[in-house]
Amino acid sequence: MSTGQYNYSYIFKYIIIGDMGVGKSCLLHQFTEKKFMADCPHTIGVEFGTRIIEVAGQKIKLQIWDTAGQERFRAVTRSYYRGAAGALMVYDITRRSTYNHLSSWLTDTRTLTNPSTVIFLIGNKCDLEAQRDVTYEEAKQFADENGLMFVEASAKTGQNVEEAFLETARKIYQSIQDGRLDLNAAESGVQHKPSQPGRNTLNNDQQQNRYNKDNCAC
Amino acid sequence: MMPEKENILSKRLNKVLETRFENDQDTLDALKELSTFYGENTIQARRNLRSQIEKRSLEINQNFLASFREVKDVFDNVYQDVVEMSQSIEEMTTKLKNAKAQTKQLLERTRQLQEESVKNDMKQTVSKAFLEKFQLTPEEVVILHGSKHKRDVTISEEIFVVLEKVQKIHADCKILLQAEHQKLALDIMDQMTLHQEGALERLYRWSQNYCRNVDNPEFTELVTRAMGCLQTRPVLFKNVLNEYCSSRRGVLAGEFIDALTRGGPSGNPAPIEMRAHDPQIYITDILVWLNKAIPIEKRNLDLLVKTCNKEELKEILDEALANICEGICQPLQIRIDKILNISIDASILYAVTNLIRYYKKSIGKITQGGLLNTVLEEMQTKSEQIFLLALQNQVNNALVRVEAPPRDLSPTSSIHHLISLLRDMLSTASMSEGREIDMIKIAQCVVDPLLRAVNEQASRLPPTDMAVYTLNCMYSLYTCLSLYEFMDEKIERLQAQSDAQVDTLTSEQASNLVANMNLGPIYTILQDHSHGPLSSIPGMEPSNLRNFLGKLDSVISAPDTVLLPQINLLASSTHKKVIQKRAFEVLLAIYKQLYEGVHNPVNMYENPNSILNRTPEDLSKMLMS
Repeated sequence: MSTGQYNYSYIFKYIIIGDMGVGKSCLLHQFTEKKFMADCPHTIGVEFGTRIIEVAGQKIKLQIWDTAGQERFRAVTRSYYRGAAGALMVYDITRRSTYNHLSSWLTDTRTLTNPSTVIFLIGNKCDLEAQRDVTYEEAKQFADENGLMFVEASAKTGQNVEEAFLETARKIYQSIQDGRLDLNAAESGVQHKPSQPGRNTLNNDQQQNRYNKDNCAC
Repeated sequence: MMPEKENILSKRLNKVLETRFENDQDTLDALKELSTFYGENTIQARRNLRSQIEKRSLEINQNFLASFREVKDVFDNVYQDVVEMSQSIEEMTTKLKNAKAQTKQLLERTRQLQEESVKNDMKQTVSKAFLEKFQLTPEEVVILHGSKHKRDVTISEEIFVVLEKVQKIHADCKILLQAEHQKLALDIMDQMTLHQEGALERLYRWSQNYCRNVDNPEFTELVTRAMGCLQTRPVLFKNVLNEYCSSRRGVLAGEFIDALTRGGPSGNPAPIEMRAHDPQIYITDILVWLNKAIPIEKRNLDLLVKTCNKEELKEILDEALANICEGICQPLQIRIDKILNISIDASILYAVTNLIRYYKKSIGKITQGGLLNTVLEEMQTKSEQIFLLALQNQVNNALVRVEAPPRDLSPTSSIHHLISLLRDMLSTASMSEGREIDMIKIAQCVVDPLLRAVNEQASRLPPTDMAVYTLNCMYSLYTCLSLYEFMDEKIERLQAQSDAQVDTLTSEQASNLVANMNLGPIYTILQDHSHGPLSSIPGMEPSNLRNFLGKLDSVISAPDTVLLPQINLLASSTHKKVIQKRAFEVLLAIYKQLYEGVHNPVNMYENPNSILNRTPEDLSKMLMS
């Protein structure tokens, strides 16, 4: 087992949400693999991706949940909001309906995540300028009104993809530095440096449990 | 005058008187002789004396003359003889002189000839030595080139000796070159080169012929030495090797087909294809056969070139062995293809893949860079692909129907089946070479569709059931994956997914607990500090709080009863405990707030200890035990 894998100080959990077909999985793929996935099947439930990035000289592991846009998986995906430190809310600039649903996504996010969760609005498919259906200004205004960060990006060309993920991380990191984000809270979506490069926290929990038991027995 | 006469007379007389006869022998003799003349003393006699004496003197003189005449005659004769002799000698001398002059020339010539003869003898010795050293004997030439009459007959050991000599002469010529015999040296070198070429040509033809007919390669000293000699001529050497290779290629392919279809002599061992119905045994037998046969070919090849310089040969030999193995490629490929193309179980395909890998590696150590390696490589890749495809198909077939999770929210039978399939595959893969990639690919093949299926199944359940079911599946999968290396990525995902479900369940459980104990309103009131003393707020009166305490007591006495029924369906007791613990922590936090509120004089509770007699610490101990 390589130690390099654990060579990071924080784990940030992200969730990517938005209507079906706006390119959530492609954005994730572009970010983790630096490739565009042309024939991306519908996501069933959730998919998962990770990448280690660097913010302010700190190595941070991003654990990203890519959720299914389909309504039928809404119940499944809800579970993954709770622990998210960053939420990337995606719409498709060529389909207004995906933009119109943003407020409902935002409501979900606000209810299910904690107040410190950083929400980043991404207008995807900005390479399809000719088919644009939502102007930059309009979306920018929506973002500003709701206190969201915003970029237009393209999972196809990779434009602004990296920036969106990194900017979110910077913002989260900033919150940690400011003390606005409580690292000890179970649902902060941030874990500080894994104490043990163990294979999993299930084991850690078990150990912890045993430890607790022992304590109580005394 | 008278005196003088008288004197002479007197002198004579004196003289006679003075003479003393007795002392004069001559006179005596003469007197004695004179006496004989007188027989009688008469006058006659005396008168005659003188005549007689004269007579006698004449007679004597006459005798004397006669005697001298004789002597003179003899002398004349002698003289004559001597003159003649002198003449002869004169002649002889001249003759001798001539002869002497002639002989000197002859001698001179003889000496010259003798000298020449010595020189020539020397030259002859030198030439002989030279020829011995720098030329071949006719016998040697025959050995080298074969007799004209019976061409191409077998060669003998001696050819190598002669060939060595030729090479030595060639080398010696270099010394000759330095010794200013350039023309000669060059000529001999040319000649030797011709000899060598001729001999090598002959060796080449012989070896080629020999190699063309080797069914059972037991090499004689001759052929290995011939190969050693031919190594200096790469083209010839390669041609012979090629001849050998193509011969062996055919033989090996034939033997392979025989082993497959006919088996050993009198069917023992049985033909490999007898067991073609069992892919594993079939492929094993085939590959084992190859793995046995190819080293033998390699050994034979090494024997063939054992006298050669091996360093330069590595590539050529590799190529040769690859060449020999080419013949078996096609039958091999056809058979492996056939096995891979019949739809068989993924696990069998995996076993076949590993067999191919193992023997590819093993054979790859013996022969490199040939068609066989390529074929095995292709077969390996193909087998890996087909295996993964079969595995995918198997997984997809198992998941084609979305099953409803059972009432106990345990993984459905197809999920269960896939997990045990995964376990089997991983446990096999973990013992194979290159296991990391295999295990990751296998996990990829099974885990991702499986998780999708779980999501799909779960999406049809109510939230709590969904979380429990998902968690149970994750746990089941986790227990499988955690046994193996290289699963970190999947495990991380399972972990994160489990965490999310645990969080969800915790939240459900905590809300349920709070609701059950009617803590909701109390919690809301506690959060709101604007109402003045708590005791005066409806719902916060001691009686109501005691009501809550009663419920709390029943929770303490039987903490499991307040759990959501689904929580008890969790497969992992750890999950269950974590959720319970975290839910109780919520309860404790509210209790702590309540306790502090009740004990705070500001809230004007009378005798707070009688209302809330348990400190939060006590409660914590009780609940968390």
